[in-house]
Amino acid sequence: MSIDRTRHPLEDLPAYALGALEEAERAFVEAHLETCDECARELAQFEQALYEAAAVGAARADPPRDLRARIVLRHRGTRARRESDWGGARARAWLARPVPLALPLALAVFLVVSFVAVGTARREADAYARALAGVADGRVVALAAQKDAPPDARGALVIPRSGDPYVVLELSSPPTGKAWEAWVIKGQHPTAAGVSGSGGLFTIVLSAPVGAGDVVAVTLEPAAGSRAPTSDPILAGGT
Amino acid sequence: MLVERIAGGDAEALGDLYDRYGRVAFGMLYRMLPGPEAAEEVAQDAFHAVWRRASSYRPERGAVRTWLLAICRNAAIDWRRTRGKRSEREVSIDTAADLIADGRVDERVVDALREERVRKAVSELPAEQRDVLSLAFWGGYSQTEIAARTNTPLGTVKSRVRLGMTKLRERLVDER
Ligand SMILES: [Zn+2]
Repeated sequence: MSIDRTRHPLEDLPAYALGALEEAERAFVEAHLETCDECARELAQFEQALYEAAAVGAARADPPRDLRARIVLRHRGTRARRESDWGGARARAWLARPVPLALPLALAVFLVVSFVAVGTARREADAYARALAGVADGRVVALAAQKDAPPDARGALVIPRSGDPYVVLELSSPPTGKAWEAWVIKGQHPTAAGVSGSGGLFTIVLSAPVGAGDVVAVTLEPAAGSRAPTSDPILAGGT
Repeated sequence: MLVERIAGGDAEALGDLYDRYGRVAFGMLYRMLPGPEAAEEVAQDAFHAVWRRASSYRPERGAVRTWLLAICRNAAIDWRRTRGKRSEREVSIDTAADLIADGRVDERVVDALREERVRKAVSELPAEQRDVLSLAFWGGYSQTEIAARTNTPLGTVKSRVRLGMTKLRERLVDER
């Protein structure tokens, strides 16, 4: 194996396969896996071994006789949903629908909100879309690019059914001395929720809880982060 | 391909998937959950998740069975966290005690030769490695939780996870 251990989270892959990482570590590995086939291959082998052992370790229990029929009937006549197709016309229609919100001056923006069911078809299967499609169970909310957003900036808020919410971002590297900062805005009050100096595809696990009606935004701030936003949002979206 | 048919909206393909792996999936859920009703409920949830996520399945990232079982396991852990009564949220240490149990496995789930190989691989792991893998996998505990519960330094738990998983992989996965 000649993979550089400092750049690839090889040490964490066994625990990732087991589901035994803490949420922030898990989110980091997950984002990395979306961009790295080598690690994905390593992981696949750990999983193969683990689930083979699990099959032997599973209880010997007869499933109810009608379970198969219930599973099939529930889905017969429906079609697999394909809602989080980010490149799709449906997502674009959502993104075109502005939702005005009263916010402090620095954050006075038009927000576009979209609820995207998890799981998915991705005709435009880029790393970003795959990262979101890989979200196991939870809700994905698009963060709309704002007026000052760099071209191709994208982001989404992920609210897992368990664990901390996080944002998946695709942004250029911040200028020297600056960082991307995430905010959770309740009513009129932004709370700092995490800083990252990364560029490319990365995640920020939110350190503040996100409740119904809250807005999550990303701004460019001094590298150490700010206590209140000092610039207009690059990305924003509401729950 | 089976999963492609499911992604295309073919409910009968979901039934075919059930025919192949429904028994092992149910057996795994049965072990992770407090009773047959919960296993049944979560099995339905998991197959529904398969239905929704079929188009994101990537064959180069693992076999269909592994993918399905991982979905089932996550659904079971979710169930315990969100719907289980307080007493059901945690699997007892007993349930999580052994990575694999004694007694033969149903031939419809794993063929006998394969089973032998798995039993041998698992039995050759040092007990402390087998224990952390089992607590994590069946118990749904994180490394940090295992460290706290077993009064073991986190670094030790992490290295046991790594060593145990690496040995399992060496013994059960043929090509590197
Ligand atoms: Zn990698």
